[in-house]
Amino acid sequence: MIDALFSGANYQGVKKMLDATTLRQEAIASNLANIETPHYKRMDVQATFASELSRAIGTGSAHTVRGVQARITVDTSATAQNRDGNTVQLEKELMLLQKNMVAHHMQTQMISGTFTKLRSAIKSR
Amino acid sequence: MNINILPGVDSAASALQAEKVRMEVISQNIANANTTRTDKGGPYQRQVVRFETIMANQFDPYSAKAEVRVSGIEMDNRPFKIMHQPGHPDADADGMVKYPNVNVHEEMADLIASSRAMEANLSIIRTARQMAMQTLAIGKN
Repeated sequence: MIDALFSGANYQGVKKMLDATTLRQEAIASNLANIETPHYKRMDVQATFASELSRAIGTGSAHTVRGVQARITVDTSATAQNRDGNTVQLEKELMLLQKNMVAHHMQTQMISGTFTKLRSAIKSR
Repeated sequence: MNINILPGVDSAASALQAEKVRMEVISQNIANANTTRTDKGGPYQRQVVRFETIMANQFDPYSAKAEVRVSGIEMDNRPFKIMHQPGHPDADADGMVKYPNVNVHEEMADLIASSRAMEANLSIIRTARQMAMQTLAIGKN
């Protein structure tokens, strides 16, 4: 019975999102660290992650969701704003950083919610 | 999968270190903006830092990250400023004095860029800490 709480496609999905958020934080940190490095190309979680995950959650199978993996790739869609060939834009990265932090907050709350459900079931109140 | 509890702080720390070196070089340039004689002879030559990316865990897309380091401090080879000052002790036979190729305005602009980059990297460390705290609070309420 307890397994049902933790093996649902939604719970597994949130875990995957949390993995992606942590990786994206790493990518944003790398981008901001290299904001002045010539020819540096910005990195990010693969652009298809969101669609891969929502398709997997749509199937309702926790096993399919577990197969989705976030990974860091070079963002080929970003273009250099000046002649040094660096594709990092400070404002964009800071905006992504804030967005990522809010997403992380939401995901930890959702995971906590699952535990809260279990606890209230045990305490029966 | 290798997940860091404080994601991104390694990159941010490497950037803080590199920006610190850049700030030191900038302040050295400003300090020597009017130095007409150095121990190598001739006026002070402007120095620039060169940044380089270090890819950590390059072949593991689940924990790849890019750090930065100063790969070298190079000389700026632009020409010196030449001014006519016959009374100057370093003036040549025609009364011309070579001044460093340092432009203080350019240095100030670089200094501000450097301090902005530092702030951005500090905000990475701040958010990483908040994220770690939230992660540790999972299941606490």
